[in-house]
Amino acid sequence: MYPYILYFSVLFYAFALVWGLGFAPADYVQGNSFRIIYLHVPASFLSQSLYIVMAIAAGIFLIWKVKLAAYMIKSIAPVGALVTFIALISGSIWGIPTWGTWWQWDARITSTLILFIMYLGLISLHSSFTNFEKADKFISVLVLIGFVNIPIIKKSVDWWSTLHQPASITLTNKPSIDPTMLYPLIFSMIGFSGIIVSLIILSSKVHIFKRESHKSWVKRNV
Amino acid sequence: MFNFAFDNLNSFFYMDGHGIYVWSVFFIVIISTSLMFIFYKNELRKIRKKIIDE
Repeated sequence: MYPYILYFSVLFYAFALVWGLGFAPADYVQGNSFRIIYLHVPASFLSQSLYIVMAIAAGIFLIWKVKLAAYMIKSIAPVGALVTFIALISGSIWGIPTWGTWWQWDARITSTLILFIMYLGLISLHSSFTNFEKADKFISVLVLIGFVNIPIIKKSVDWWSTLHQPASITLTNKPSIDPTMLYPLIFSMIGFSGIIVSLIILSSKVHIFKRESHKSWVKRNV
Repeated sequence: MFNFAFDNLNSFFYMDGHGIYVWSVFFIVIISTSLMFIFYKNELRKIRKKIIDE
């Protein structure tokens, strides 16, 4: 099923990028550099969302011992690292024309860097275990401990004085961004999310086949 | 809403000097995501082959 999600999402994302990069008006203050928003925001949104999904999976694994939840954590972590990497790099490049610097040790950027390091740590720690059951438990606990960083990232622009602007789209307030710029942003977020979901489905297949390779149902499916 | 924001394709790629930033991010996103797809596709092919060989 994942190829269909992937093809549809790629088309959707391509449409959103053509719209955002070519047809949305330039920003009054930032000029055309603002168009990085269509690449940066979907990645930033997913970097935090994927960690939340991992934390939910960690809770499910620790409470109900659902093996699939542990496989989800292992499958999401590399993809989470990828989107966080994209968020950091795109933010740094956007910072050059906007802030005059590619890096600043402010709250939002530093907490996102910590998130990236946490993803990398989870990947390398899981690989360092020989006993997979112990690894799953240990990683699940670590994911839950690391979850404290998510509200810090989210609220960092409100709690501290940072270079990073506050959120343009919130659940409670009217968006502070013009609809001509907002609609392609929403489309790009949906399209990129679809691509990342299909990537997670693919990585889950790899991890499940690796861990369950001795089972007869895997042999039948292969 | 669907009016091309630039005079021609050259100004679309140049973006008043900001094209270098926008397009470099664009290619980083496309290349890094594609590489991860290729990596997992290869991994899946390897694990399938291993299971079949067993």
